[in-house]
Amino acid sequence: MHTMTDESRETVAKPEARADGAVLEARGLGKAYGDTRALVDLDLRVERGEVYCLLGPNGAGKTTTINLFLGFIAPTDGQAFVASLDVATHDRETKRHLAYIPEQVMLYGNLTGLENLDYFAALSGKHPGPGRLREILEEAGLQSDAVERRVSGYSKGMRQKVGIAIAIAKEADALLLDEPTSGLDPKASNEFSALLGRLRDRGVAILMATHDLFRAKETGTRVGIMREGRLVSEMATSEIGHADLERVYLERMGDS
Amino acid sequence: MAVRTILGNEARLLRADPALLAGLALFGAVFAYALLNGAAWVARQNTTLEDVRAAEVERSAALEAELAEIAAGAEPASRFRDPRSPTVLGGNRGARTAVLPPGPLAALSVGQSDLRPYYYDVSIYTNEQTFLQNGEVENPLNLMVGRFDLAFVLTYLLPLLVIALGYSVLSAEREQGTLALTLSQPVTVRAVVGARLLFRASIVIGLGVGASLVGAAVSGGFGTPGRVALWCGAVVLYTLFWFGLSAWVNTLGRSSSWNATALVGAWLALVVVVPAMVNIAAGLLHPLPSRVEMISTAREASNEAVNSRSELLARYLEDHPEMAGAVVADVAGTAALSWAATVEVDRRVAEVAARYDEQLAQQHSIVRRYRILSPALLAQELLNDAAGSGDVRFADFDGQVRAFAEAWRAYFVPSILSGGVMTSEAVAGRPVFTYRPEPFTGVVGRATGPLLLLLLSAMLVTVPAIVGLGAVRGAA
Repeated sequence: MHTMTDESRETVAKPEARADGAVLEARGLGKAYGDTRALVDLDLRVERGEVYCLLGPNGAGKTTTINLFLGFIAPTDGQAFVASLDVATHDRETKRHLAYIPEQVMLYGNLTGLENLDYFAALSGKHPGPGRLREILEEAGLQSDAVERRVSGYSKGMRQKVGIAIAIAKEADALLLDEPTSGLDPKASNEFSALLGRLRDRGVAILMATHDLFRAKETGTRVGIMREGRLVSEMATSEIGHADLERVYLERMGDS
Repeated sequence: MAVRTILGNEARLLRADPALLAGLALFGAVFAYALLNGAAWVARQNTTLEDVRAAEVERSAALEAELAEIAAGAEPASRFRDPRSPTVLGGNRGARTAVLPPGPLAALSVGQSDLRPYYYDVSIYTNEQTFLQNGEVENPLNLMVGRFDLAFVLTYLLPLLVIALGYSVLSAEREQGTLALTLSQPVTVRAVVGARLLFRASIVIGLGVGASLVGAAVSGGFGTPGRVALWCGAVVLYTLFWFGLSAWVNTLGRSSSWNATALVGAWLALVVVVPAMVNIAAGLLHPLPSRVEMISTAREASNEAVNSRSELLARYLEDHPEMAGAVVADVAGTAALSWAATVEVDRRVAEVAARYDEQLAQQHSIVRRYRILSPALLAQELLNDAAGSGDVRFADFDGQVRAFAEAWRAYFVPSILSGGVMTSEAVAGRPVFTYRPEPFTGVVGRATGPLLLLLLSAMLVTVPAIVGLGAVRGAA
C-alpha cells in the first residue's frame, strides 16, 4: 500500500517525459477556475488491461480529471495524453481511442437501443451490421426483447448497458467512467462490474471515478484517492483488503 | 462521414417524433392554403379582367352600330351621347381599357394587386386624379404587405418554423445529456450542430421552395424561370438567416427556454416592430396630405377651372354675339372651350398630385433606406418583385397608362378643337393599349441590392455562430 500527501508522494514515480505504453497519462495536469483550483498537479498512468478507480468526495477533482482526458475542458497546467497523443492538440484523434460512460447515460429517448447504438457507433467511425449490433447489446447485458424498444422506457441500468455497448462497438483502447454505478441496484451494479472486467481482460485501459469503495476494490486494479483536487493516495487493490481501503480513505478525508 | 451519420440520425429522430411530424404537416397545410388563397385571388383578378375586356368590346360594338345607324340617316339617341362627337368617342363612352395582367408569379404573392388598380378605362379625361383616386396613397408598408398568400407565410410564419426547429439544436442536446456522449466521439460541435441545422434547413427550404415551385407550376410561372430563381433565392437566404440566428443564440450557452424567448423576441422585433417603426418614421418625417384635403383641393381646382370656362364662354359670346343663338347647337365650339377648361383642371390636379407623389416617394425612400434593419422587409420586397406584384410594376403600369392617355388625347384633341366629326373608321382607328412587361434585367438590377443585403444579414448571424460553435468544447 502506498499513500501520498500534498507535500510528498511516497511511491508514485513521476512518469517519463514520453508516454511509454500508458493508454491514459496525466502529467502535472491542473485545472483552475479563477482562484478555485479544481485539479492540482495530477500525475497518473493507466496501462492496458488496468482498471484505475478514482475515489473521493464530491469536488475532489474526479470528474474534472475525466473531462480533461475527454477534452471537454482545457487544462490550465500540464498535459493529458491518450495513446501518447496530447489531448489539447489532438482532440479528435484522442477521442478515437476513448469511450465514455457518464453517470447518467442519456440517449435519444425516441429511438430504440439498437438505433442509439447504431448512431453512436457510426459516429465513432464503426459500422457493424445490425446483427453484430444486436450481439453487442446482448453482450452488454441488454435483454433481447428490449433491443428494439424505445430508450425512453429504459431503466438507468439498461441505459448504462447501452453505454457499455457503445464502448464495445467502438473498440476503444480506453474507457472513462464517471460514477457509472451511482443509483444502480446491487444486482445491476454487479453486472456492470462484470462487464468492466471483461473489457479489462480485453486490454482496455479503464479510468473510473466512483464513490463506491466496495466496487472500486472489487473491480479496480489500482485505486487513487483524491481530495480537494489532489491525488493524495494511490494503491494496488491486490495489496489491500476492503477494510484497509476504507480506513485509508477515511484517514485521507480526515486530513484537513 | 460524421455529417452523413448525423443527417441519418436526424431523419430517424424526425420519423420517431409524432409531434414534429404533426407540426411539419400543419405547416404543409398552411403552405397549401396560402397557395390556394393566392390562386383564388389570381382567378378573381382574371375574371375581372375578362369582364372589363368584354365590356370594352361591347362598348365599341355599340358605338360602331350607332355610328352606322346615324350614317344611314338615324338621329343620335342623345345630343350629349352623340358618338360623332370627339368628346364623346374619346370620353367615358368610348373609353379604352388598359389592362395589367397578373404578374408571372401572382399566385405566390398577391402583393399590391389587391391595393393598386390593375386596369383603367382611359379617356381624354384621364388625369392624375384618376391614379390618386384609384390607388392607395399612403402607408407604404400596407402597400408591401399583402393578404394570406405564400409570400406572407414565407415572410411572417416561416421564421417561426425555423425557430421551432432550431432554438434547441444544441441546448437540448446539452439538457437531455446526449451531448456528452456525442462529444466523446471524434466529432466536433460545429459538425454536429452544422449537420443538424443542415437537415432541418433542408426540410424548411424544401417546404418553402417546394410550395413555391408547385405554385409556379400551376400558375404558369415557369415561363419566367429567372423570376422563379429569384424567388427561390430569396426564400433560401431568408431561411438561412433565421437558422443562422438560431445557431448563434445556441452558442451563447443558455437554456432552451431562454433561446426560444430570445428568438421569438427577435422575430417580433425584426418582422413586426422594426417594419412598423420604419412605417411610423416615414409617416412622421414625410406626412401625406389627407385624402380629404387632396380631394377638396382637386375639386376646388376643378370648380375654378369650370368657372374659368364659363368666363371664357361668356367672353366668347360677347365677342361673337351672332353665335349666341347657335351656341348650344355649336358642339364643336363648346367642346373646344370645354377642353380648354379640362386642360386647366388637369394642370391644377397635376400640381396637387405631384405633392402627394413627392411625399409618397420620400416615404418609400425611407422604407428602402432602412430595410436593412429587417430581413423581413428585404424578403417581402424581393418576393413581391419576383412575383410581379410589387410597387415598381404597378408604378410602371401607371406610367404606361399615362403615356397611353397622352396618345389617346393626341388622337382626339385635334378633332375637338377643329369641331371634327367622328366616323366608324375613327372608332376602329383609336389607339390600342398594349402592356409592355418590364425586361427581367430590370428586375434583376433592382433585386441585386436587397438580395445582397439579405445575404449580408445571413452572414452577420452565421459567422458568429460558426465562431461560437468552434469555442464550444464540452458538454457542460
